Amino acid sequence: MSGLVFKLRAVLTERIDLKDIVPNTLAGLSLHDVQRLSVGTGRSEADIGELFFVSGSPGERLVIEGGTSAIDGIGSGLKAGTIIVEGDAGSLAACGMRGGRLDISGNTASHLASGMRGGIVVVKGSAGGLVGAARAGERFGMAGGTVVIGGDAGDRAGDRMRRGTIVVRGRCGEATGARMMGGTILAEGGFGDGPGPLLRRGTLIGPSAERLLSTFADCGHHDPVVLRLINRHLASTLGDLGDLTPKPLPLKVRRFAGDLATIGKGELLLTG
Amino acid sequence: MKVNGVAIDDTFAEAFGMSGTGLVITADSSKWARIAADTMCGFGTSVIGCGAECGIDRELAPDETPDGRPGFRVLLFGFSPDSLLPQLRNRVGQCVLTSPGSACFNGLDAPQQLALSAGPRFFGDGWQTSKRLGSRRYWRVPVMDGEFVIEDKCGLTTDGVGGGNLLLIGSDRAGLLETTEAAVAAIARVPDVITPFPGGIVRSGSKVGSKYKGAVASTNQAFCPTLRGAVNSELSPGTIAVLEIVIDGLTSKAVADAMRAGLATATGIGTAKGLTRISAGNYGGKLGQHHYHLKDLLA
Repeated sequence: MSGLVFKLRAVLTERIDLKDIVPNTLAGLSLHDVQRLSVGTGRSEADIGELFFVSGSPGERLVIEGGTSAIDGIGSGLKAGTIIVEGDAGSLAACGMRGGRLDISGNTASHLASGMRGGIVVVKGSAGGLVGAARAGERFGMAGGTVVIGGDAGDRAGDRMRRGTIVVRGRCGEATGARMMGGTILAEGGFGDGPGPLLRRGTLIGPSAERLLSTFADCGHHDPVVLRLINRHLASTLGDLGDLTPKPLPLKVRRFAGDLATIGKGELLLTG
Repeated sequence: MKVNGVAIDDTFAEAFGMSGTGLVITADSSKWARIAADTMCGFGTSVIGCGAECGIDRELAPDETPDGRPGFRVLLFGFSPDSLLPQLRNRVGQCVLTSPGSACFNGLDAPQQLALSAGPRFFGDGWQTSKRLGSRRYWRVPVMDGEFVIEDKCGLTTDGVGGGNLLLIGSDRAGLLETTEAAVAAIARVPDVITPFPGGIVRSGSKVGSKYKGAVASTNQAFCPTLRGAVNSELSPGTIAVLEIVIDGLTSKAVADAMRAGLATATGIGTAKGLTRISAGNYGGKLGQHHYHLKDLLA
């Protein structure tokens, strides 16, 4: 598989934005053209060639060595191909992603997978707040695809999320699924305070929640078929991720319907 | 031409283009999945009288179904997509949705699709919710034993074939039934086909039209043994019974494979149980687009 390798030359002194620096947009460019692409966000001009040692040739794969939280927008605009980040990623990684795969070996900052519509994102570490959430001014957050986070996720994951699946192997922060309109969030380590404020539709699944909102109604213990479908879907979509492979969901859960402060068609399924 | 003592007529089965779809019906146990599938396929023998021709294609192991439970693949055939859709909705709505623990999924991957859930999901009266997982969308309808899950769409083919057939003719009614049952069992192992009549077998082969107004089909007296001496019969003096196997398939190849399997099994048993001759039904070759010559299927 052909591809490019960006190796960070030195510690970044200002934030950079790799939005649209993805295999599907780099394909067809010469190495020289790739190096001249501007990625700076500050007052000084910053080309890829100044910040990274660039090797290889544009293809289906992009490897970013020396990833740091100062690099925003990694994988944003990805439609096909693979991006591998060795290290951390900044904000808005996988923002608006439509296909392909993004692997991050470290942590990410906020708004991971915001507006994502398709593809797979695997983060080995933890993610900041607002995973899959809508950005300010946007109507919807994540609208498709699958995200796996090996560590924890920050507050308000899935805020205004519409479709897609987020799997957090660790714990989710406060207000997970706030204003969510669809999709599925699995928190293997449980939810923080008050999951699902103003949740309209969508499914939150985890062993526990620090505190339940009073507007979630206990509907009892059930074995809905949809849990089997989610298990099948994750297994077939993700394959073997080694330590990051999600655990199969238990088939019996306690269902809380909510948020009854809105239309109440969402649900919190407690597996513990 | 004779094979293992059985005469094979130099004729062909004439079959028609049909629209078809496939469903996967699951439940907590194989028993209840079969009950739901059988109920849905009831009164689904002939498209002329029943609106659709339906049957179980095969049993599915849990690892073959979307929800990992036991299931059955059911095929439905109709004259056209427009005539198939109401049959699909009514049968799923009345027979699968109502069956304990059932779920209903697409069983045919095809570019054209039918709105499987449009109808059954509205039973939820506003409490139904959808769940999209990848490219597939499911509806969850609250019911008294939990939730009925139904996939949003199912595949549609307009390349289906209805009316592939074999006529097994014999001198012993009970023995002929056993031979025909064995042929049906062999056909059941062929993927993408069904034999929609009771037990896969028709004992009332028909001809087009009738002396009575309003009857679109009537008994085929030329193949009725009790009229053998009274009409221009197709049957030889020793014939006691004729049984027909009607085959519908998602493709013409599947129907040909099924006829081939049925022929091989029947001729393999040979005359031991009274089978004397195998023929096939046609309308002179002018009505159906698909012709299956028996001699070609024996090659």
